[in-house]
Amino acid sequence: MSKLVKQWIPSLLFATIPGLVVLLGYLFPGRLLIQFQGRVVEWRDVLVEWAVIVAAFAFLLGIFNILRVHGGRIGHRRQGWPYSLLLLLVMVVAWIPPLLPMGIPGQETLDRAVFDYVISPVGASLAALVVFTLALAAFRLLRVRRGAGAVLFLLTVAVVLLGSVPFIGLEWLAGIRDWIINVPGMAGMRGLLLGVALGTVITALRVLVVSERPHSEF
Amino acid sequence: MNVGAILLLVLTGVIFLVLLILRGRKGPRPEIRPLPAFQDLWKETGYAAESGGAIHIALGTGGLNGEDAATSLAGVQVVEALADAAVSYEAPPLITVGNPTLLPLAQDLLRRAYERRDVAEMYDPSRVQFVAPSPVAYAAGAAHIVATENVTANTMYGAFGAEVSLITDAGARRDLPQLAAAADTRALGALYPTIGRLAVGEELYAAAAQMTGKRRDLVSLATQDILRVILVLVIVGGAVLAYLGIL
Repeated sequence: MSKLVKQWIPSLLFATIPGLVVLLGYLFPGRLLIQFQGRVVEWRDVLVEWAVIVAAFAFLLGIFNILRVHGGRIGHRRQGWPYSLLLLLVMVVAWIPPLLPMGIPGQETLDRAVFDYVISPVGASLAALVVFTLALAAFRLLRVRRGAGAVLFLLTVAVVLLGSVPFIGLEWLAGIRDWIINVPGMAGMRGLLLGVALGTVITALRVLVVSERPHSEF
Repeated sequence: MNVGAILLLVLTGVIFLVLLILRGRKGPRPEIRPLPAFQDLWKETGYAAESGGAIHIALGTGGLNGEDAATSLAGVQVVEALADAAVSYEAPPLITVGNPTLLPLAQDLLRRAYERRDVAEMYDPSRVQFVAPSPVAYAAGAAHIVATENVTANTMYGAFGAEVSLITDAGARRDLPQLAAAADTRALGALYPTIGRLAVGEELYAAAAQMTGKRRDLVSLATQDILRVILVLVIVGGAVLAYLGIL
């Protein structure tokens, strides 16, 4: 009895039934309707809305986690603690503009400025770093795995990159690049995506039939 | 893929999954091809225990509320499978997440492993860290952890993009053993040059079967294989019929 109440019923109520309702709502739109807040809506939409609210609370947990981890690092003066201090300060400062009451002069400008002059350029700089780490990875590949596969991989990357740039005299590379992307590249990618889609469906089905339950002990 | 095709796939999947679960209780154990991206985690956990360090597990920026939910769950399965051994060896992994919905899930898996060993008081929730919700910021933060913490192996299982190369670069600079499994083609392109032990595409969803060897996980993998064969036959058959002008 206790296993039924403590384990099966919560799993069915919070995982299986909502999952089935959302899936059926997607497969048969307009069939599962409910009167909600004075309007007729799909059950699926209501459940997805609730999931968004729960996810928003998860963000609060995330913030507490950041405070705990970095607060602890500052408290124990562990390696890199000034960065943790900076992170927490920036986090607090970034919270100020959205929390200011609407209508205060400059509130929107300040909010926008944080995004335009801090978050956006820092994000772009980090994204630019990816190019260098990818180039470094290519060099490491040659050093660590000197096989035919590695050479073929790098040769393909070089042809696709050079074929994407309109160099005078190298226009013929664009044709090879298009062939690589549209024939072997597309074939490989479709095979990969089919496998991933199957894996996704099976994982979702496992949750629905209560075979996969990371949220539960039994 | 249209709704009819999805419905057919789901129904076939449910039928096979249920049939195999029922049969799997008594039938022979399905055999699987070992994948070093998962199998070597046991060895790395042992090494982490010997050296007093920890394995870093990056679960990516996917969460439970988006299109990467299944991919993220596959990553969580690695934590679930590894938690007991890691706690027994007193070498709990250092887990980083980029989506807060994975935070309570991963923390709970680790906490339960401590409780099963009757050492709940040793559980440290900060072993699971929420880094940042943006993919690039997450990768940069996780890379910093790999670079500065006492990490003995760098592993990545979940939803990533090309920015994962920031994390692998940090691991490569410290010459750490690196293991990964990803489904996104951009992530795979970035991981392939650095990671020797890489699980590609659908292999990520074999995590639980690879690591636990439990019958229910092996059975779901067998279901996936059967569905794949059916899909391939349908595609090839459709192509032949179209070529012959029948379709």
